[in-house]
Amino acid sequence: MNNELDMSRTVAPATEASRGAGTAVPTPQAPTRSAVKPESAARVKMKTENVKVYYGEAEALHGIDMAILENEVISFIGPSGCGKSTFLRCLNRMNDTIDTARVTGTITLDGQDIYDPSLDVVLLRAQVGMVFQKPNPFPKSIFENIAYGPRLHGLASRKADLADIVESSLRRAGLWDEVKDRLHQPGTGLSGGQQQRLCIARAIAVSPEVILMDEPCSALDPIATSIIEELIHELKENFTIVIVTHNMQQAARVSDRTAFFHLGELVELADTGQIFTNPTHKRTEDYITGRYG
Amino acid sequence: MSTNSSTVSPAGATSTATTLSREQVATRVNASLRRRHRQEIIFKGMGIGATVVGLAFVAILFINIFSKGLPAFWQASITLDIYFDPEVVAIPDMPQRLSGESGNDFRQRRVDWENEVGLVNFNRLIQAAIAKVIPEAADHPRDAARLVTSGERIALRRLVIADPSIIGQTRRVTLYTDANIDVWLKGNIDRSLPDGQQMLNSRVREWADRLYEDGTISLRFSTALFQNPDSRSSLASAGLRGAFMGSLYMMLIVLLVAVPLGVASAIYLEEFASRNRVTDLIEVNINNLAAVPSIIFGLLGAAVFINYFKLPFSAPIVGGLVLSLMTLPTVIITTRATLKAIPPSIRHAALGIGASRTQAVFHHVLPLAIPGILTGAIIGMAQALGETAPLLLIGMNAFVASVPSTPFDQSNALPVQIYLWQGNELRNFFEGRTSAAIIVLLALMLSLNGLAIWLRKRFETRW
Amino acid sequence: MSNLSLLLLLLGLLVVGYQIGLHRSRGLVRGATGERLHSRPQYHGVVVGLWAVGPALILVVIWQLLAPGVIEQALVSQLQDVQPGLSDQEQRVALRRIDNLASNKGLVMGAHDWELTAAQTLSAMRKTSGWILAGLSATLIALGLLFSLSRMSPSLRARNQVEKVVQGVLMISSGVAILTTIGIVLSMVGETLKFFTFISPLDFFLGTTWQPVFHVTETSGYGHYGMLPLLGGTVLVAAIALLFAIPVGLLAAIYLSEYAPGRVRSFAKPALEVLAGIPTIVYGVFALVTVGPFLASVGDMVGLHIRATSALTAGLVMGIMLIPFISSLSDDIITQVPKALRDGSLGLGATKSETIRKVVLPAALPGIAGAVLLAASRAVGETMIVVLAAGNAPVLTANPFEAVSTMTVTIVNQLTGDSDFAGPQSLVAFALGLTLFAITLVMNIVALAIVRKYREQYE
Repeated sequence: MNNELDMSRTVAPATEASRGAGTAVPTPQAPTRSAVKPESAARVKMKTENVKVYYGEAEALHGIDMAILENEVISFIGPSGCGKSTFLRCLNRMNDTIDTARVTGTITLDGQDIYDPSLDVVLLRAQVGMVFQKPNPFPKSIFENIAYGPRLHGLASRKADLADIVESSLRRAGLWDEVKDRLHQPGTGLSGGQQQRLCIARAIAVSPEVILMDEPCSALDPIATSIIEELIHELKENFTIVIVTHNMQQAARVSDRTAFFHLGELVELADTGQIFTNPTHKRTEDYITGRYG
Repeated sequence: MSTNSSTVSPAGATSTATTLSREQVATRVNASLRRRHRQEIIFKGMGIGATVVGLAFVAILFINIFSKGLPAFWQASITLDIYFDPEVVAIPDMPQRLSGESGNDFRQRRVDWENEVGLVNFNRLIQAAIAKVIPEAADHPRDAARLVTSGERIALRRLVIADPSIIGQTRRVTLYTDANIDVWLKGNIDRSLPDGQQMLNSRVREWADRLYEDGTISLRFSTALFQNPDSRSSLASAGLRGAFMGSLYMMLIVLLVAVPLGVASAIYLEEFASRNRVTDLIEVNINNLAAVPSIIFGLLGAAVFINYFKLPFSAPIVGGLVLSLMTLPTVIITTRATLKAIPPSIRHAALGIGASRTQAVFHHVLPLAIPGILTGAIIGMAQALGETAPLLLIGMNAFVASVPSTPFDQSNALPVQIYLWQGNELRNFFEGRTSAAIIVLLALMLSLNGLAIWLRKRFETRW
Repeated sequence: MSNLSLLLLLLGLLVVGYQIGLHRSRGLVRGATGERLHSRPQYHGVVVGLWAVGPALILVVIWQLLAPGVIEQALVSQLQDVQPGLSDQEQRVALRRIDNLASNKGLVMGAHDWELTAAQTLSAMRKTSGWILAGLSATLIALGLLFSLSRMSPSLRARNQVEKVVQGVLMISSGVAILTTIGIVLSMVGETLKFFTFISPLDFFLGTTWQPVFHVTETSGYGHYGMLPLLGGTVLVAAIALLFAIPVGLLAAIYLSEYAPGRVRSFAKPALEVLAGIPTIVYGVFALVTVGPFLASVGDMVGLHIRATSALTAGLVMGIMLIPFISSLSDDIITQVPKALRDGSLGLGATKSETIRKVVLPAALPGIAGAVLLAASRAVGETMIVVLAAGNAPVLTANPFEAVSTMTVTIVNQLTGDSDFAGPQSLVAFALGLTLFAITLVMNIVALAIVRKYREQYE
């Protein structure tokens, strides 16, 4: 991967101090950051400071500051084009794949700057996995789909290890019982919901620390959606999950905290319960009550 | 990196033994990085290498052609003061048409007279003129005559026929030298070769050098290349005119046959035909026809147009028809692509205000498609212009020393002329001539393609 | 009357008929307020014009096709009375001279009296034929006009009729492509069957010796017409071409579509595509004059005997020709692989090359296979490069440094300058052509089916 994007951004030192900070970082844009439940004593997993994204000349994100806590489910909501997906793609540098996109500001993972030239984007993406809007299994067998990541990264030294990784990943994704008899059939032959769980299994096969989900249920029917939502709930134990969703009920159901984006700004980030019952900002309230969207 | 993860039991999982800790993952990923980045560089390098190889071939091909072909546009020419000696050019007056004489009779007398002019030994005029610049040439008239290419006698004859009053006068005339003189002066033959291997004897070579030094012989832009048809007796006069006219006729036929037929088929298939087995068959057939080797069309032409319909051998009419059938699929496919790109909303809008299907197509869709159709037509014609193989089978590789005046006359074509010239025995001269002909052909084809690209860019519409 | 002026006259009549129809149809509804024309007056005009000119035009075309033959027949029978005992050849010459005399063009040396008489008869016959044609056409025109005018009424569905004619013309045009294929197959099958009366199909398809005898005597027989050496040469040259063109074309396409910065791409892509626009004769000359001698001298340097005209020379240059073909087809196919698949792979931490090699290329494989097959069919049917650079030696060899001959080369050699399809020497060209056609047809159909299926998969 090229690191040329790093030239354009302001390099900030990785902030060790942010480790263990139990609360979100206060910023001028988002004055209302509620504290997380104190009993969780969660650590900050990822932290962003003044992140801006430009497409060509146009600024799509206007300086986002946020802290993502370990083992939480945090969801991003907001109208289309508000920048929530763009921000999500910054977290594992998927924006690198877009020629015109440029990212400035600082993003850290466990205190390490992920845009640091010395950090390999390959390693970053192994640590911060991603699940996409449309299920995108490779045109390979189910087994090969899961084995793809571990093979690339050399995670399994023996064949049996690889098979174990495939099995445990499929089990964690709750797909094992459905596909254990047809591991060598094409992954594209599964139903939409199964395909999406396959993609989740594929992502957890490389043991990431954070999983980014970009509207993972928007192409699925309600039953498949509820299975995925349950799965997210279970995965929370092991992974930090960041989910972008269009669906406010989904955000309410699955997430611990919710961030509301509007016009490239982070308007409000708070406990999910609070944001849906008692939003601080007028814009948040208008969106949640359906004034626009 | 984080520390507290490896012990957590995954939901619903039974085999936790293989779950790697995050440190382990990081270590293993890091261990693989060097190898993988090296692979990345190698792979990208292979891509660059392949692109460079491709581009290098483009460069080599063009440098090769131009370095050989450009000098051939300038040809050794000798400027002489020719005295039209009445003793040598002893001919009767030019016949005038008598009253009451039939057309055939007059033409007969006129041709007789011209033949008589042709019998004049123009070589003697040339020899005398050369003797004026090289005195010792008077003793070696044969060698003197070798300086000028044989076809130039006809140039002198043409001067006399055009204006008999020049007899008795001296005219300054520039004539092409013999092809071997051109080769010698340009250094296209090894000058150090012994006499036995030289095409010219030492005396003629010495004269040529002398005349080149004093400027009597100079390299001049060769109009013969464009004005003359092919020639075998006087190689230095061989030109592309006959081949060019032949190609022009064939392109006209392609324009008149392939383009209307192709556009009409495309309109039918895209706008009117219902999708059924017949149209599927036509579609498959057209796609296949586009990939049929061109030589097969030559066989078709030989069997059908020449053997069955008894159309003339070596004639542009047959070549044009063969090339039309060959380019038809190209025209159909590009026109269909253009029509397909025009959004259905245009048709629906027209149909919605009560136009019939035909009206919608001819009044609304076609005008929008015209740039695309033109592009397709030009690409098809360029394809036809460059094609050689089928023409060989219908006799267009015959040697033709005249310019065709109708598409039914014997003729060459530009690519076939290249084929014939590259096989000429006087390699040293014709290597340049061949490359010059290639330059002419490429220039024509590239300008056609350029025109097509310009049209596409100029009228490109994004829907 | 010349064909051109006739055509112009008919065109003029079309305009006249159109005008008449236009005005008459307008007149139909003038005053009568209740009634409206079904079609606009223009369509009535076209209908009248078509009725007036169409039948006459068909008559003229048929007449022009048939009349010269009939006249010539009459002239010939007359000549046989006046000048009996003319050989076929002499008769042909005489006819041409008479034709020139009659049409008063060119120069006829020493015309005989009987020729002059015949010329007069000929022009008289032509004149008569012209008058008859003119009379018949005039009648047809008048009848067509009257008929169409008598049918004209406000309710006449003139537009629908015109549209039917237009669609009919379009449909017939699209039949030409089919006719071409049928023509190819029929003409070649006919001549091939004739060829098989000389040489048995078994000897042709399975024979390993190619040694036709050009001047057949009673003792020499026809020689050997075994196709396998030619097929072998064809396959050898095509294989060399593909071995060279596939990696270069594919890698260049990958580099240009996935890696190259915009400026490089916008320069290199059209520059490579220039190769596709160069006529094959130019490649042939390039191979013969430059590449062949170069390869031979390289061979000398490393102690290999490489002939200047060899399978290698032809194959290599054909490979150059195929580079843009393969690269632009693969480019299309690679860009059709959905971005989602790439994102999926990149999101797992794959590098760009891993994504291309392990996800994009496997996904694009069917399409690329189709493209390669299309390129192979081109290589098999390519003529001019092999004619000039393969060396024309019809022997069965797998040595790329040796001269070979291919099917296309042999077609050209056997048929060039010979329009008399009497012996196996020229007829074999059609047998080879039919075989070549069959081979490329199968390759094309399979390739196009694969590519089509591939496209549908990602649509």
